[in-house]
Amino acid sequence: MPPAISIKNLTKFYRNRFKALDNLQLDVAQGQFFGFLGPNGAGKTTTISVMTGLANYQQGEVQIFGKDVRRDYRQTRAMIGLVPQEFNFDPFLSAEQILIYEAGYFGVDRSEGKKRAEHWLKFFDLWEKRKHDYKRLSGGMKRRLLIARALMHDPAILILDEPTAGVDLELRYHLWSFLKELNSKGKTIFLTTHYIEEAEKLCTHIGVVHQGRVVAQDAIGAVIHRLHGDFVELALKTPVYEFPHQVGEVAVTILDGGKRLSFEEKPGMVNRVLQLLHGKGIEIEKVDVRRPKLEDAFLSLTAKSSGGGA
Amino acid sequence: MIGFTTLVRREIVRFTCVFTQTIFPPVVSSFLYIFIFGFSLGGRIETVQGAPYLVFLIPGLIMMYVIESAYANTSSSLFISRWANNIEELLVTPLSYLEMVAAILIGGLARSLVVVSGVYAVSLCFVRFLPAHPAVMFYFVVLVSLIFSAAGMITALFAEEFEHLSLITTFVITPLIFLGGVFHSLSMVPAPLRWITQFNPIFYMINGMRYGMIGRSDASIPVCAAVVLVLFAAFLTATVYLFRIGFKLRK
Repeated sequence: MPPAISIKNLTKFYRNRFKALDNLQLDVAQGQFFGFLGPNGAGKTTTISVMTGLANYQQGEVQIFGKDVRRDYRQTRAMIGLVPQEFNFDPFLSAEQILIYEAGYFGVDRSEGKKRAEHWLKFFDLWEKRKHDYKRLSGGMKRRLLIARALMHDPAILILDEPTAGVDLELRYHLWSFLKELNSKGKTIFLTTHYIEEAEKLCTHIGVVHQGRVVAQDAIGAVIHRLHGDFVELALKTPVYEFPHQVGEVAVTILDGGKRLSFEEKPGMVNRVLQLLHGKGIEIEKVDVRRPKLEDAFLSLTAKSSGGGA
Repeated sequence: MIGFTTLVRREIVRFTCVFTQTIFPPVVSSFLYIFIFGFSLGGRIETVQGAPYLVFLIPGLIMMYVIESAYANTSSSLFISRWANNIEELLVTPLSYLEMVAAILIGGLARSLVVVSGVYAVSLCFVRFLPAHPAVMFYFVVLVSLIFSAAGMITALFAEEFEHLSLITTFVITPLIFLGGVFHSLSMVPAPLRWITQFNPIFYMINGMRYGMIGRSDASIPVCAAVVLVLFAAFLTATVYLFRIGFKLRK
């Protein structure tokens, strides 16, 4: 059984010679709920664009269910439902027409397209707004319409690029339970998000991308267990504005605008950090020790691969 | 085929839902052209190529609207899609690049045919005649429409702003149309201009159309037909190629 997504040695330059993806490797098994995490500009959307045919690439191999996205582009695109980050609706069509036309582009006949449009419009509570053009819909409605559009051809894999960005909590929880249900029925889901909590709640596996490379990819538990020790969190009396992102081999994360520092507990690590703070004349207000979370793993991975240290 | 026909339908819906901008203006302005140039001023000219001036004028005017409608339709459709980013909606579908291009071209052809029907209906208010060679007329209407639909798509891909679309209309298409013999026969212009006109492709389009409608032409019809066919093949190939490589479409 081929993986849902297989990416090997993917390198992508933009026209200004910026290297957006650098020998990126990724494998997503069929049926996984996969979270693709990374800081802004890490290459998440570019990776999605390559998979869906929205971006060219210079080197590597990208396959969807064993089919090459260049050679077999019609087959790979037919298997993907894309929920983009930005609203990109046809400005000449109503909400209902947007869905019916989308189904048509994917080869679903008009009568079936109308049935599916009715189903998803009702499901996402958009039926009353079906004759409106998308500009008259609220942000949350547009987000739901994007998801409905991606589902019109019943794709084998659903790719969501920041689907809950800017949506209220109620809708976010609604979308979470919906996506979990879809995944439980066997649909492969590939999700990028800025909300670590979202990835923790939804995903079975994650990949962390940083500076165009995948720096970790595994089941969520396995990624967290790579951090062997507990985590130390220091609350500071005065904020620290400049502090090394790495002390020895351990990444240090600066939180709350410098009011807190967080790092993995390793022998001698606390002393070294305290000495550095003491040298800056900064006093400690409180010390906490806790078990690592996905957020710690994410921050540790992205800080480590940035380089720099003390 | 469902994907292809869906895109064709979308292209037709796009121009019909703004018919006051896409259909009415050319039909209204054709009335003014025919009334002022053909009916009023043309009354002072006896015959051109053996036909009353009004009859001589109408095929050229129709070809002018074929060109303008086709170009305007695809250039605005594709540019707006790029500008509003909904071109991405199309690029992620399993349609082949040839299907995408062909469907948008047919949208341009459809708008041309609607406008041409309107202009022809207007002309019937002034003079009544049936096309002398309907098949020839149909050949030129369809191929010229497709050529300028493709030209519109190419312009929309290169354009960075809306103004770039109208620059081509103002500085390239309109001068070529007017110098190509919409209002005059080759025998009515000085010899140097007559010589230059041979290099104007729209001259062959207008004369092919004129032959199809009234059986008269300043140029050999096989040459006119060949010029149009070669241009169609060249523009179609270029447009499909640009889509295939994702020129200004893919990041």
